[in-house]
Amino acid sequence: MSIRSVIVAGSGPVAWIAATGLLRAFKHRALEVTVVDTGASVDNRIGRWTLPSQRGIHGLLGVAEPHLVHQTGATFKLATEHLGWQAEGSRFLHAHGDIGVPLSGTPFYKFLQHESLAGRAERPETFSLAGAAARLGRFARPMGEGGSLTSSFTYGFHVEDAAYSSYLRAHALRQGVRESAAPLATPVRGGDGGIGSLQLADGSTLSADYYLDCSGPEARLLACVATEGREDWSGWLPCDRMWSGLAPPQREPPAVTQITATAAGWQWRAPLAQASMVGHVFSSRYQGEDQARAALASFEPALRGEAVLTRFQAGRRRRFWERNCLAIGAAAVELEPLAGADLHLAMIGLATFIELLPRERESRIEAVEYNRVMAEHADALRDFTLAHYRAGGARAGEFWNALRAEALPARLAHKLDLYAASGRITLLDYESFEELDWAWLLMGSGLKLQALELQYRTQMMKVAAGDVAALRTHVQQVAASMPPHMEFVRRHATLAARTPG
Amino acid sequence: MPSPLRIVIVGGGTAGWMTAAAFAAVFGPAHRHIRLIESSEIGIVGVGEATLPHIRFFNRRIGIDERELMARTQATFKLGIEFVDWARVGDSYIHPFGTFGSRIAGVPFHHYWLRQRAAGNGTDIAEYSLPIMASRANKFALPAEDPQDVMSTFGYAFQFDASLYAVYLRSFSEARGVQRTDGKIVDVKLRAEDGWVESVKLESGEVVSGDLFIDCSGFRGLLIEQALETGYDEWTKWLPCDRAMAVPCENSGPLTPYTRATAREAGWQWRIPLQHRMGNGYVYGSNFISDDEAAAKLLSRLEGKPLATPRPLRFVTGRRKRTWNRNVVAIGLAGGFLEPLESTSIYLIQIAITTLIDYLTDRAVATGEYDPRSVEAYNRWMEMEYDRVRDFLVLHYHATERDDAPIWNYCRTMRIPDSLQHKMELFRARAHVVTYKDGLFLEPSWLAVYFGQRVMPTGHDPRADAVEATDAEQQLARVREKIQGAVARMPDHQAFLERYCPATAPVTARSGA
Repeated sequence: MSIRSVIVAGSGPVAWIAATGLLRAFKHRALEVTVVDTGASVDNRIGRWTLPSQRGIHGLLGVAEPHLVHQTGATFKLATEHLGWQAEGSRFLHAHGDIGVPLSGTPFYKFLQHESLAGRAERPETFSLAGAAARLGRFARPMGEGGSLTSSFTYGFHVEDAAYSSYLRAHALRQGVRESAAPLATPVRGGDGGIGSLQLADGSTLSADYYLDCSGPEARLLACVATEGREDWSGWLPCDRMWSGLAPPQREPPAVTQITATAAGWQWRAPLAQASMVGHVFSSRYQGEDQARAALASFEPALRGEAVLTRFQAGRRRRFWERNCLAIGAAAVELEPLAGADLHLAMIGLATFIELLPRERESRIEAVEYNRVMAEHADALRDFTLAHYRAGGARAGEFWNALRAEALPARLAHKLDLYAASGRITLLDYESFEELDWAWLLMGSGLKLQALELQYRTQMMKVAAGDVAALRTHVQQVAASMPPHMEFVRRHATLAARTPG
Repeated sequence: MPSPLRIVIVGGGTAGWMTAAAFAAVFGPAHRHIRLIESSEIGIVGVGEATLPHIRFFNRRIGIDERELMARTQATFKLGIEFVDWARVGDSYIHPFGTFGSRIAGVPFHHYWLRQRAAGNGTDIAEYSLPIMASRANKFALPAEDPQDVMSTFGYAFQFDASLYAVYLRSFSEARGVQRTDGKIVDVKLRAEDGWVESVKLESGEVVSGDLFIDCSGFRGLLIEQALETGYDEWTKWLPCDRAMAVPCENSGPLTPYTRATAREAGWQWRIPLQHRMGNGYVYGSNFISDDEAAAKLLSRLEGKPLATPRPLRFVTGRRKRTWNRNVVAIGLAGGFLEPLESTSIYLIQIAITTLIDYLTDRAVATGEYDPRSVEAYNRWMEMEYDRVRDFLVLHYHATERDDAPIWNYCRTMRIPDSLQHKMELFRARAHVVTYKDGLFLEPSWLAVYFGQRVMPTGHDPRADAVEATDAEQQLARVREKIQGAVARMPDHQAFLERYCPATAPVTARSGA
């Protein structure tokens, strides 16, 4: 029996993205996609920051970016600034762009590693257009030929969840996604061990050939058919709560997400067009919920309205896809938003599902492949998140000491040790964060190198100091010629008027 | 930095000289001292007369002029490998160095072909590959750079005399300071405290000490096995051939821009055309045929007059448990053996060298120590390379319908590695090719062999149905026409060779197979 209909269960951005993505991919088969509201999830939050891959997601959904930015009050993101992670007062950037330009075929960051071994540490952002623009509060879209400085970066977004969800919902409905009249009451198992139908709050039932569970950490659909449980990561990543809220806008904020380490977790701040967002992420083992809310209030005394509490527990499903039910988003993988990659991972899940959508409902091999590939993706993302805590020096205190006492997952331990021993960054088959992301993070964290690859030692003998100085000047000049970030955001009111979504 | 890293390479075949040349080119003279010890009394196996396109990156990286190299090694161009009689007697397909069509709306081309095939389109997948069609027509031209041009859809490799390649690399290396010593190693001295190799002793009495030893001594593994007893994983249960008989013969007929591998009663036979002769060999399982019979069969199937008597080779398919052990790295046959069915011998040498370059640090120069993480990472990488090539080779043997000889009955019914089982199941179910970031064979290679070996999917990607049938037919026809037009304009392979890189080197005594 072939697949004609899919129900997407959920209410946040993940559900609307998944529904629209599926509908558009199988428009020719007139695939029927219906979203069933599952109510507010425990992972509700005020907003989020995204990776640059969100641009591609918007493209796939047919969303016009200027319209979206204007309608949702989103801003741009060139970098994440890490504050206090290695020690009180430590700070570094992880920008979404190249570090320098290759020197006679050698990645520029190898030159920086070489210099740091010689005791001449330099900040990567000095040589990165994205980094320099982030520091100067400037922004423009990348342009020009590949290989040019002005095309050497990309960007993500800061966006409020309620605005984003309703924008994506309206877009989905315009595209032909249906929405059930009543929210989910309870899923009903079918005879074959999969989901048979959904019982809705108004007493009616709804069924489909396939079910996408985007209901958040409770995984309300998958939980009812799962044959295997979760893999728990909370030993490595003990944060399990977040308070977040809206605050007055900052004055001319840069296109940067700030993440600041605290005694029992971390805090974040991100700009919106008309406001700013703040959050306090913590481990309930070390800080009570009330105490944490007070901490957020002291971080941002001018909170607008009530803060929102999110609950989660780091880990993933052993199987994301069972029978006719597949979990995407926090229903599949729960992670604190440190790396800003939750929508990215959800999109990889969706794209992989689209690539593997069975022709027949009964087919099983696709699920085996999906579960194999997505487990790799999820573990890679866990490692990158965990590396924020574990690379370089770390703060003192009960929370931090306990965290450091946990043995790292073998694959991350290997990566960090190898980096320290040789400067080399290795990637496995399914990693979302690339060599350069790791270079930003590991160099920024100050993880000490003991050695450098011999081949680059030879290459560096050919580098002219004048070329390096000229690059630094050029990067700073180009960054300074970009418009201020918020001016760029404000222009979208006019841009959007010309390109209705 | 203190003194340079003393690198001692044991063995001067293809592996030894490729290593010497690469190290001399990549590491500055201040950082390395390279010494290569080879014995003119010990013959070299000279594996891999047929190469893969990757060798061009290697040559470019170390600064070799490709045209000059081709002229000096009797080289011909290679666009792929033809497999004859593999799934059924009478079958023939080419595994090309290039793609089949290009993605339409983000979906790989072969799904559209499968869809139209189910609807009655009778074209062969080969008609959508430029290098296959050029091979069939004995044509060759260099690829174009413009990605819009159909002439950019392929790569190429060489068929050359590997011993002449070694000769070429020797002069390249010696010009860059590599010190060559002709001598036979009679003893290996290990450091008492940790068992690392301290030095090797030559027949002349000279003792050569070093920091890093590269074992290119061939199957026997003089350092990695005889001295360090590293151990070996055998894969004969999946790849049962353990011997080969090799003999060159005179060329007859036009020079083909591809290698041929013909399945036989107890293994398979290679045919590799060079400018001055044809390389031939019979790879077989000693359980299935005697040496004498294999030699006789081989001689009876040559296309030209034999130029030597058949030379026997013995091997055990598999890989060393660790190719980097203490301060010894085994490269080439000392590291492992996979039969040359997909011309991977030189690739496996090359990847061992470039990966070793990636994992050698300046700390090794300063302290003579190798970080265990680097060693582990290197070994893991090489394991992955060997394992992935292995699966690909096993596919050729396993996906057959032949039941006319014991070797095919065995391979057809054997239990294959789980990793391959999964890949084949997914392909059968929906023509989905499992891809990976690292490792040798990419989607087009898997497609060529799946289709060529009659592993036919029962379905295709449903997204391919988005294009209207007439539209899909037109797109398919356009690809075929573009390829036909391009092939018609390509020059004849032999004519191109004669103009581009006619052989300049004399044929040496060591240019056996």
